[in-house]
Amino acid sequence: MTAACREACCSVTPRFTVAELFERGFRRNRATPFDMEGSVVADAEGNYARFSLAIERSRLTGLSFRVSSCTTLIAYSEALAELLHGLDAGLAAQFTPQELVAALPGVPALKQGRAVLAVAALRAALVAAETNSIAHQGGADR
Amino acid sequence: MKVAYIFATSRHTVSYVLGKMILPQLEENRHGVDVAGMFFFEDNNYVLVKGNPIGARLHAVAKKKGILLMGCDQCCYEREIADILFDDVPIGCFPDLYKALSGNMPDQVITL
Repeated sequence: MTAACREACCSVTPRFTVAELFERGFRRNRATPFDMEGSVVADAEGNYARFSLAIERSRLTGLSFRVSSCTTLIAYSEALAELLHGLDAGLAAQFTPQELVAALPGVPALKQGRAVLAVAALRAALVAAETNSIAHQGGADR
Repeated sequence: MKVAYIFATSRHTVSYVLGKMILPQLEENRHGVDVAGMFFFEDNNYVLVKGNPIGARLHAVAKKKGILLMGCDQCCYEREIADILFDDVPIGCFPDLYKALSGNMPDQVITL
């Protein structure tokens, strides 16, 4: 293992905790979105999420989001943005809510459903990006 | 009358006002009003961590009397205690608090 420990014991920053992801995500949530935006996904509690992406040669070079002001949802969305940056879009689409929950300990069970919403919004953006890409290829073929 | 308490300030708010005034009165059924809920900000959330002696008494009396206990989610995440609170004590923000109290609305909200 070569990655630096990001727990409090090692004082390495940035840390991968809910509180710090929320701080970083709060800023990303207000940033200008990338061109490729997915559809808005909402849950029964009134929370919503929408991801936007920048993709170069099938790799995710930029991830941003607009989500409702729920601390847990912002932290989960920021975790996705940080974890999946640089990854192949096809692989990113396979990332599951369960993996997100496991990647970010400290969230009580009652709030872990926010991971489902965040991942669904990310997948919606990936689908939109793929549809956009196919449309462009189709246009080029004509 | 029915009240809700918001524990917003630190210092002696929990150890003294809650632990030595409100809680004993609730335990002795002589608080004078019904309490619909209690919401905790900042370091006051440590009282909700499993094993806290005041929290254990509060949790018991809240369960018996149907009092909502809720911790501020950002405060709990910042202190990394969100997943070690007493059983069935949720974290949340204002929308969660209002929703949780909507079925048992207080007449007064007391900020301490």
